[in-house]
Amino acid sequence: MTTRYIGAATTIRADDVPALYEGGKFYSPAVAPERTTLLSWTESLLERNGPVTLVRPDAVAPETRCVAICVIGSGAALADLPPSGDEFALAVRELERLTRHRFDAVYPLAAATVSGIAPLAAASQLDVPLIDADGMGRTFALIHHTAMHLGGLSPTPLVIRGVTGENVAITVPGPARADTLLRSNVDVLGGWAALAAYPTTAGDLRRAALTGTVSRLINVGRLLLESSDPDVLVARLAAVTGCRRIGRGRIVELEHLSRPTDFTIPTHPSSVVIDEIGGQGRQLRLELRSEVVAVFADGALAAAAPDLICLVDVLHGEVSTLDSLEPGDLVDVLVMPADAVWYSAEGLAMVGPASHGIPLEHPRHR
Amino acid sequence: MSKQPLAPLDLAELLRVEPLSRASAVHLPDPARHVHEVVLAETFDRLHHAAPHSLVVLHHEAATGGWALAAALHAGWERNVSAIVVPRPAMSSSSAVLAERLGIALLVIEDEPVDVALTLAGQVSAPQAARALRVALCAERLAEQSSIRGVLGVLNSELAPVPVALTVGGTVTAGRAAGAAEKPGGTTVCVEINAAGRPWAELVAAVPAKNTAAAGHVESVLRLARLPLLAAWAQTRVHSSAQAAREQAAFGLLRRLVAEPAAAAEPADVEVPPWTGELGWRVEGRNRAVWISPLTATDGAPAEELTQLVRAAWQRHRPDWPLVADSDGWISWQNLPDSTENNDEAGMRRALGAVTHAAESHALVLGVGDAHRGVPGLMRSVTEARLAAHVARDGGPGSVQWFDQVGARAALAWLPRGQIAEVADLCLAGLMAARDREALVDTVLAVLDCGGSLSQASARLGVHRNTVLSRVARAKELGLVFDDPARRLALHVLCYSLASVWLPGRS
Repeated sequence: MTTRYIGAATTIRADDVPALYEGGKFYSPAVAPERTTLLSWTESLLERNGPVTLVRPDAVAPETRCVAICVIGSGAALADLPPSGDEFALAVRELERLTRHRFDAVYPLAAATVSGIAPLAAASQLDVPLIDADGMGRTFALIHHTAMHLGGLSPTPLVIRGVTGENVAITVPGPARADTLLRSNVDVLGGWAALAAYPTTAGDLRRAALTGTVSRLINVGRLLLESSDPDVLVARLAAVTGCRRIGRGRIVELEHLSRPTDFTIPTHPSSVVIDEIGGQGRQLRLELRSEVVAVFADGALAAAAPDLICLVDVLHGEVSTLDSLEPGDLVDVLVMPADAVWYSAEGLAMVGPASHGIPLEHPRHR
Repeated sequence: MSKQPLAPLDLAELLRVEPLSRASAVHLPDPARHVHEVVLAETFDRLHHAAPHSLVVLHHEAATGGWALAAALHAGWERNVSAIVVPRPAMSSSSAVLAERLGIALLVIEDEPVDVALTLAGQVSAPQAARALRVALCAERLAEQSSIRGVLGVLNSELAPVPVALTVGGTVTAGRAAGAAEKPGGTTVCVEINAAGRPWAELVAAVPAKNTAAAGHVESVLRLARLPLLAAWAQTRVHSSAQAAREQAAFGLLRRLVAEPAAAAEPADVEVPPWTGELGWRVEGRNRAVWISPLTATDGAPAEELTQLVRAAWQRHRPDWPLVADSDGWISWQNLPDSTENNDEAGMRRALGAVTHAAESHALVLGVGDAHRGVPGLMRSVTEARLAAHVARDGGPGSVQWFDQVGARAALAWLPRGQIAEVADLCLAGLMAARDREALVDTVLAVLDCGGSLSQASARLGVHRNTVLSRVARAKELGLVFDDPARRLALHVLCYSLASVWLPGRS
C-alpha cells in the first residue's frame, strides 16, 4: 500500500477509519482506549451511509453553522458502558433546539483519541460535512483549553448526553466554570458523555480553530499502520508532524505520586526515569499527569507541554501508551511541537508547564 | 600557628557540626569544596541566580520532589554551586544517580530547611566560630578515647580527607600512612609530642594543595590530640605487669625467630613481625642494644620491684626506647634508620648520661652493644651488650661499658669470680691472712697486667717503683709466686678475681 496523502478537501471512507483511529491514539498517547465498539460501529456506519465529506473551514461559506463534538469523561468508562450510537447526533439536536439554529457542519473539539472518531460518526448520522479543523490539535485536559477560547469564542451553550438518554445543558458566562459543572455531571451520567459545544460559524473557525488537524490525523495513522521499523517510523513522522527524537533509552524507574497533586487537573502525577542509550547517556526524566507533560534531560527541561511528548516502543515499532510502561522497556522519546497558538503567552499560561506545576520557562521560549 | 581568618568553610567542616552533621550525604564528590554563601531557594528563579560556591538549601516550591530536584541539580550544576541540600520527602533514587552524573554534592536533611539554612548562613558568615565549635566537639570526642589507635581514628575522621599519621622517629606507628607522605604542592602539618620534655613522637597530616587554607585548623586539632595521645601512651606503659609479661614473651618470640630460620636463610633476612609495631618497638634498620643488670650477679630474674624502678627511671629519660626484662637484667635498644651511616653514638651517650644517676642509686651497670641490622642484628647486639654489662660490673655502680671497647676482656665476663676467690682462701692461705693482702694482690695484678714491667705497674698504681718491688717480693714470700710459667695464668686469674670481688667493698 502506498501512502495516500489527503489534502484540503476530500472524503473519509470506511477504510480510512482505522488510520484515523491510529492517528488519534498518536496525538493523545496518554491512555489508549480499548478498541471500542465505536471504531467498528463507525466503520459500518460509513459503509452504510457512504463517505463523509471533509472540508477545510475556508472551503465552506463563512456563515455555515458549526458545532464541536467530543467524547468527554474517561476511556475506561466508555469501555464499560458502550455508546448506544445516537448520543452524538442527539446532543447536536438538543443544542440545535436550545440555540434555535440548525448546524450545517460538525468539527472535532480535539482531533485525537476517540474524540477524533465521534465527530465523523455524528457527521455521517447528521449527513453534514466534517470540518478539517479542531480546537486543540491534540488533547488538553479542560474544555476551555482550546484555540477557540483563545480566539474569544465561548464553549457554551453546550449539551452533554449520556448513554442513559439524559441531556445536560450548560450555559455559563465564564468558560472556566463550564468544565467544573461538566465534570460532576459526567460522573452522574456514567463516567462519559457525548459533548456538543462551541456553537459557531465557519467564518469564526477560519480565524480561531486549528486547520488541517483531521486530515493530519489520517496521514499519521497511515504511517503508523504501515511502518514497524522505529527509525523509519520516526523519520516519516518527523516529515509529517515536525517531531524529533529527544533520545532513546531504557526505562529504569517508575515513580508514582512523585509530586504533590493539585485538584485543577485530574490524574496522579508520576515520573518515568529513562537511561539514555548512546548519545550523551543522559538521564531522561518524564513527568506524567494525564499525559507526558515534561521531559528533563539531566535535570534540564528539554520539552514540556504544550509540546506533545510520546514514547515509541523500539522493539515493536509502535507508540507506547503510558499505562503499559514497564522498567526495562526500550523506548524512543519523541517530542512534537503543538500548534503555534499554544506558544503564545496566553497559550502557555493556559497549557504550559506552569499549568502542570512546573514553574520553569518553556524550552521553546529560551 | 598560621591562622587564616578569612578562609571559607569547606563542606567537610560543615558536615561535622550541627545541623549538617545529621544530614546524609547522598553524593559528595569533593568534601574540600569551599562554601562562600548559603542560598535558601524557594523558587527556581532564585536557584537560577545562585552565586558559584554557594550552598543551596531547597525549600517549598523548589523541593516538591520528582522533577523539582532533578531541575534543581541541573540549575546547581549550571551555577557551579558547592552543594544542594534537600529535605528527605523530595529525595528519590534517580536524583542520587543524577547528582553523581552531574558531580554535584547532594545532602539530604530531615530538619526544617529554613532552620537549617539560617544556621548554615550563620556558620558560613563566621567560619572561625564554626571551626571553634567543631574543635570543641572534636576535643570532646578525643577526650573519650583511651587508646592511641582511637585517638588517631578520631583525628582521621575529623580531618578527612586530610590523612593523619603518628610517627615515632620517622616511622608510622598509627593512623594513615598517607599522612606522612609528602604530596606535591600540599602542605605537611607536624605537631611534635613531647614526653618528659623530650620529643617522643610526631603527628603528621598531609594537607592537599587545594585546601591549604585549612592547615591552621588542622594544626589546632592536632595540638588538641597531644594530651589524649600522651595519656593513652602512658596508660599502656603503666599497665606494667601485663605489659612486661607481654613484652618479655614478644622478645622471646623475636629471639626464636632469629634462631629457627637461621639454618635455611640468611639470618639478616628475618622479616620484622607486624606486632612489634603494636608494642611500640621499632626493629627495622639497625639496632644498638643496652643491657642493664644489677651490679651483683643474682640467681634468676631480678626482683619485680627492681624491674618497676628500672622501668620508671628508663621511661623518664628514654620514653621511646623499649624496656624488656630478660633473665638477669633488662634489655633496651636504640633504633637507627637503615639509611644513615651515622651510628648516633652521641645519642646513645646522652641517653646513658641521663640514666647514670638512677643506675648508680639502684646499683645497676650498663653494657652497650654494637649497631647491627634487623632482628638478628638486635639479638647479636643484645648478646654483646650483656657481655659488656658483665665487664662493666668491675667499674662499680652506674658504670657503663661499650662492647667495642671490651674486646677479648669479654671472655672474662663469665668467670665465676666468687668461687675462684674462695679457692684463694685454700691455696694461698698465707696471703689471705695478711693484712695488706689487697695492696699485694693489686700490685701483683698490675705487674702481671703490664707483662712484668715494674715501672709501668708503678705508674699505673701511682706508687714508687721500689714500693712495687718490695710488695712483689712480699707477695712471693706469701706464696704468690708468678715467675713459674705453669702457674702464671692461674695466679693472674686468681688475682683478677680477688680484685674484682674486693672492689665493691672499697669506697
